[in-house]
Amino acid sequence: MTLLEIKDLKVRVDNRIVINGVNLRVGNVGEVHVLMGPNAAGKTSLLATIMGLPKYNVMHGNIYFDGKDITKMPLYERAKMGIALAFQFPPVIKGVKLKDFVKVMLERYHCSHASLLAKILDIDRLMDRYLFLGFSGGERKRTELYLSLIQRPKLLMLDEPDSGVDIDSITKIANAIELYVENVPSSILLVTHSGHILSKMRHIDYVHIMDSGRIVYTGSPDEILPLVFKLGYKKTLSMLTDKKVKE
Amino acid sequence: MSRKREEISEYTIEKPIVADESVLEEKYTLGAAKRVGLTAPEFRRAAFVQVDYSQVLTAMKKVLEKYKVIVLNTREALRKYPWVKKYYWKALSPGQDEYTSSVEKYGGDGYFIYVPPKTKVPFPILTCLLITRNNLGQLLHNIIIVDEGSELHLMTGCAVSHLVDRALHIGVSEFYVARNAKLTFTMIHAWGSGVDVKPRTGVIVEEGGRYTSYYVIYSPVKHLQTFPRIYLSREAKAYSVTITVGSGKSIYDVGSKIVLRDENAVGEIISRNLAEENSQIIARANITATAPNTKGHIECLGLLLSDNAVIRAVPELESHIHEAELTHEASIGKIAEEELIYLMSKGFTEDEAKSMIIRGFLSVDAPDLPIHVKREIDKVLDLILREAKG
Repeated sequence: MTLLEIKDLKVRVDNRIVINGVNLRVGNVGEVHVLMGPNAAGKTSLLATIMGLPKYNVMHGNIYFDGKDITKMPLYERAKMGIALAFQFPPVIKGVKLKDFVKVMLERYHCSHASLLAKILDIDRLMDRYLFLGFSGGERKRTELYLSLIQRPKLLMLDEPDSGVDIDSITKIANAIELYVENVPSSILLVTHSGHILSKMRHIDYVHIMDSGRIVYTGSPDEILPLVFKLGYKKTLSMLTDKKVKE
Repeated sequence: MSRKREEISEYTIEKPIVADESVLEEKYTLGAAKRVGLTAPEFRRAAFVQVDYSQVLTAMKKVLEKYKVIVLNTREALRKYPWVKKYYWKALSPGQDEYTSSVEKYGGDGYFIYVPPKTKVPFPILTCLLITRNNLGQLLHNIIIVDEGSELHLMTGCAVSHLVDRALHIGVSEFYVARNAKLTFTMIHAWGSGVDVKPRTGVIVEEGGRYTSYYVIYSPVKHLQTFPRIYLSREAKAYSVTITVGSGKSIYDVGSKIVLRDENAVGEIISRNLAEENSQIIARANITATAPNTKGHIECLGLLLSDNAVIRAVPELESHIHEAELTHEASIGKIAEEELIYLMSKGFTEDEAKSMIIRGFLSVDAPDLPIHVKREIDKVLDLILREAKG
């Protein structure tokens, strides 16, 4: 069964084309998809468009989620349908304490794993602090992941959950994701630059390489990741494309 | 000057009378009390209530007598205890302006609270000042004394009933916080668009004393003008919070002044100003240092929710001495788009997200507020949001 299907998507931000003909299908059986690619390839823009953030204007194509066309659906409706985005840089919400926000979120989403997730992500001690105010990189990422997970999403989108965080935090983040996927029917779309988190994850189904607003190559992690980490995107793409032509 | 005196005389001013508790049960009185967040049972627990010119000293007065706390009307306190005279018009002068002088002229009466030395009142004392009749001029003179080493949490609600189109409220309040005593004062105002409000407050905090004030005005008003002056002695501390939620065509001229007049005094003035519709908020703050090793800080934040509203922040620091550390920060802005989008991405509608941001903006962690007072403040903030949503 397909959870998310994107057909021929073209997206503009102001006057700039950020997504230029993306097609993607994510199944609903615990699939893990990784998006990689150079800066400005369109990875974050793709997640933002799926979430429905206002400045991402769809010029062409459609997004289907759970069998429904959500291309024009407001972002909060998408969240209610089961799409969550863990932001790379969540903003400080002034005067709102984490514990108060969590309380409101739990009243809405009734997540039974909330306490366990808080423990794994080590955020109990942050509960009395204002949301993201003065948080370290690791605290911010772990908290944002926690808030996304307690939404109990069917599709969890993670925008660079491993950037600017220490190895301990990456382990906690990976453990929480694993726990979630094992217990809640859901799929993951994950953007990473460094790839640090990938080594901590038990299974990855597909790796997509994006460039200039397109998905230019999709393959298995075994096929793609060793090459990317060794050669970088440009050489990897050239090598994979040559291989494909020869086949 | 003379124009304003004429204005005062245009209102009905009466001699206060002591009434029985049945006054509290009247529909419009309960309605006014509800506007400052009080349910009927909570309202009945107020130690002193003045409805128009009817003063009610409730059964709580008896409870407080166990702690030797005196609650009376000011006139009676002056008659019964001659020593009260040494506090009468000492924290501010009747000649300060036309409003203070009118309170003196008309013999304004209000509540008197005295907490004897080394007494910690374990629950907040509640007072309520309400107007339920049109064209009434309510002139009050309150005196609160917290004696050496004692603690008091005073909560005051001032409101008009929905029926009142035009009224005047002038409340003179004198606070005396003795050596090493602690007073937290929470005041909530809920007026109406035709009500003129001129509170006049003076606070004297003696050596090592603590004064925390938390003031909220969330209703429309014709013109509110208040600028309490807080005088700090050696090692005394004051923390003054003003939360103004402006709406209608109201004008709010609010703020406070702290004078650091002795060594090691510390003062902080915090304000949150939210302006909707056509409202105007002038958020004033002044910290004046006249003694060495003193510290003062002003934080004045404004959130503008309408293009027709105006917020003017006027933070002033005045130092007469080298060794004083005075700082301030002020900003006025609108709701940040990125905060709104973030919250909406978590499944909240635009209205819900805005409410959450506003609630956060208005939240101030005031030190020294006991948990039950914090709960009351939370209730008031929720009330503000409900009122704001209509």
